Amino acid sequence: MSDRLSSAEAALAYQRQWFADLHGAVADGAPFALVNADTPHEILRTMGIPYVVNQWWASIVTAKGRTQDYLGLLRERGYPDHSEQYSSIALGSLFDPDPGSAPWGGLPRPSLVLAETTGDASRKVFDVWDEEPGTTFYPLESAARDDVPPRWWELMPRRWEEAVGSDRLDLMVEELVGLIRFLEATTGREFLETRFREVMALANEQQEWNRRTRDLIARARPCPLSVTDSIPGVMVPQWHRGTTWARDAARAFHDEVAARVAEGTGVCPDERYRLMWVGRGLWFDLDFYRRFQRTHGAVFVWSMYLAIAADGYLRYGGDPLRALAARFAAFSDQLYTPPWSAEWYVKEARHHGVDGVVHLVSDDARGGYFTTRALRAAGIPVLELRADNVDARSADKDALTRTVGDWLDNEVAPRT
Amino acid sequence: MPAATTATSARTASRESTASSALAQLTAHAADRMAAAGEWRAEGRPVIGYVGADVPVELLTAAGALPVRLAGSPGAGTATGDRYLGHGVDPAARSVLTRLLDGDYGDLDGLVVSRDCEASARLFYAVRELRRVEPAVRLPPAHLVDVLHLPHRSTTRYVRAKVAQMRATLETWTGRTIADADLAAAVEAHDRLRQLLGEVAELRRERPARLTGTAVLAIVAATTTLPVRRSIELLERLHAHPDTLPEADGARVFLTGSGHDTTDVYAALEDAGLLVVGEDHDWGDLLFHRRVREPTELGLAERYQYNGPSAPRASIRRRAAHTADAARACRADALLSYVRDHDDGPLWDFPAQRAAADLPAVLVDRQPYGSLTAEALASAAGLTNQLGGIR
Repeated sequence: MSDRLSSAEAALAYQRQWFADLHGAVADGAPFALVNADTPHEILRTMGIPYVVNQWWASIVTAKGRTQDYLGLLRERGYPDHSEQYSSIALGSLFDPDPGSAPWGGLPRPSLVLAETTGDASRKVFDVWDEEPGTTFYPLESAARDDVPPRWWELMPRRWEEAVGSDRLDLMVEELVGLIRFLEATTGREFLETRFREVMALANEQQEWNRRTRDLIARARPCPLSVTDSIPGVMVPQWHRGTTWARDAARAFHDEVAARVAEGTGVCPDERYRLMWVGRGLWFDLDFYRRFQRTHGAVFVWSMYLAIAADGYLRYGGDPLRALAARFAAFSDQLYTPPWSAEWYVKEARHHGVDGVVHLVSDDARGGYFTTRALRAAGIPVLELRADNVDARSADKDALTRTVGDWLDNEVAPRT
Repeated sequence: MPAATTATSARTASRESTASSALAQLTAHAADRMAAAGEWRAEGRPVIGYVGADVPVELLTAAGALPVRLAGSPGAGTATGDRYLGHGVDPAARSVLTRLLDGDYGDLDGLVVSRDCEASARLFYAVRELRRVEPAVRLPPAHLVDVLHLPHRSTTRYVRAKVAQMRATLETWTGRTIADADLAAAVEAHDRLRQLLGEVAELRRERPARLTGTAVLAIVAATTTLPVRRSIELLERLHAHPDTLPEADGARVFLTGSGHDTTDVYAALEDAGLLVVGEDHDWGDLLFHRRVREPTELGLAERYQYNGPSAPRASIRRRAAHTADAARACRADALLSYVRDHDDGPLWDFPAQRAAADLPAVLVDRQPYGSLTAEALASAAGLTNQLGGIR
């Protein structure tokens, strides 16, 4: 019997059909946006503008083994192939001389690309998009705070003004107003406040289901599903949030996990160690997550995708546009800026009762010291694994496997 | 010797001495960046370190503090900074953090960090977190001034709020209210300094050039460690008699790419036969080309929001247009992009810069902090061959 969740399979099937339909819609002249994960998707949803998430497309391309082809196409045009790979793969695919050979029939050419001006180079990837005829880049400011509230996850659902900061929200609301006006003017689509409120309410409902699912998994022994199921089970609906399908998909995912927990079903018959994966998905080697079930009885019970859905998205009360600004204004902080990130990972590690953490540290500016330090200070063994999550040139699969195996044998096993 | 000739010779010698000694003093302060801070502190006045050209230094001066821009130290090792920031961060920031933790900057009364690039932001987060979780580590109180750069009125309003926030923090640190008159005086002084820096930078563009790019870089760096009025005095002395300075020569190149907080790379390039007649990083021309329109928080917000375009924060299009215009204004004959390891922004800029400048152009990337590989140096020096007799 396949131990794959049917809800995860259903989500992937839905995404395939949606993507196929998207090709037809774009061919018929519909506007289409390529957007970063931490941008206000809900505005596009409200206006009925279809969009694909840049990082999702990079993960598909990488899982299908096409990353190096696309990085090579960037290199041929004088752009770096060792910088911002996760953000730039979709751009590389634009230059594919045989787009029909691309995964899922290829990415349609966007009329809009949307991203925050984070980092030193990620906005430049979108500047290159902006040079393409018919494609416009709408950059959004990315602001930061001097001081940080402790335990942000408790504040975010209702006290988001306090968590994010009023200056930052004032700015982001203005950014959103500008974006809406731009989209109204360029697409002719309507932004209806009543529809927007529905979208925001559906998104909250969806994340409430994700929160319940996260808490179920945290308490469950044995672990009822693999990370490679939880990621599509959460993220495909996440990219469709604000729709009834996505809300219902999140509920179906929850119900299936709940049934497994009730039955005592586990994905690893000999579960001995519960592991947490900190970092982006290792898209070039998805089998990695299950490899240690067979050899060590070690199960990855946590990845950020479900957990950030549970803690990072809920926003109630206030003006809906301001609530939306609060949803994405501090998104990167929650995952990558200490103490926001470090304290949250410790909270989640304790909540899930993990025996160890594998922390993916890429060769970029985000670093990982303070997350690792905080987890170790909480008494949790941490392995820092050095690799880029989409560029397989950065690491040898066998070496990664050996490193984790040795760590399980030498650090995790003696402590459990 | 007739008396008149003797007097003329004495005047000439005095003028030479005036300009040369001003240059020597500025160069010395560039090399020993904490010397002036020591004197300032000895008089019981506060010294505040800052990171990045997006910090409104006028506020620091108005608060009665000496602003000292923190620079790294190539070749000195960055192990401590590497530990906290990781190896993926620009090594210049790793060096600054290392020096902060090693006490190289003395007892700072505060640290103001701008978000002029991702490495600066990461540096701030590390300092903030170390102060929280490892209080035994000696670090000054730190403040992030979040100056943003998209060309929108809403951004100006945000930056203005950040300027006001920084002003309040400085008042807490120094125990002194920053009066509007103090701010106005500081704005006037820093704008005068910017004007003088612009005039001095022109000396390397004349034919014959009277300063090298290396010297101009050192002069600019010195003015980020000295009290602003002392900088003005030295620059006025230097600029009063530029014809007494020795002539400089080399293939005229405009430098883009990474910033340079020490003169090492410039010196290596100019030893190889180039003359850096201009640049678009914020330890050089980009630091001082824009003035403050009015001496208010709003005036400061506009100045710092719209100053640039820097590689980490500007769009490719704006950057390419600026580089092409600036290279033309400098009468450069070639374009060189020097990009340090883990400084990713300039790599994306280069194709458009090369096209816009329409000059012989070379990119040397993934360079070590504060130096060039032999291959890169040969590639840069090769521009002199491409230029042939053009000098």
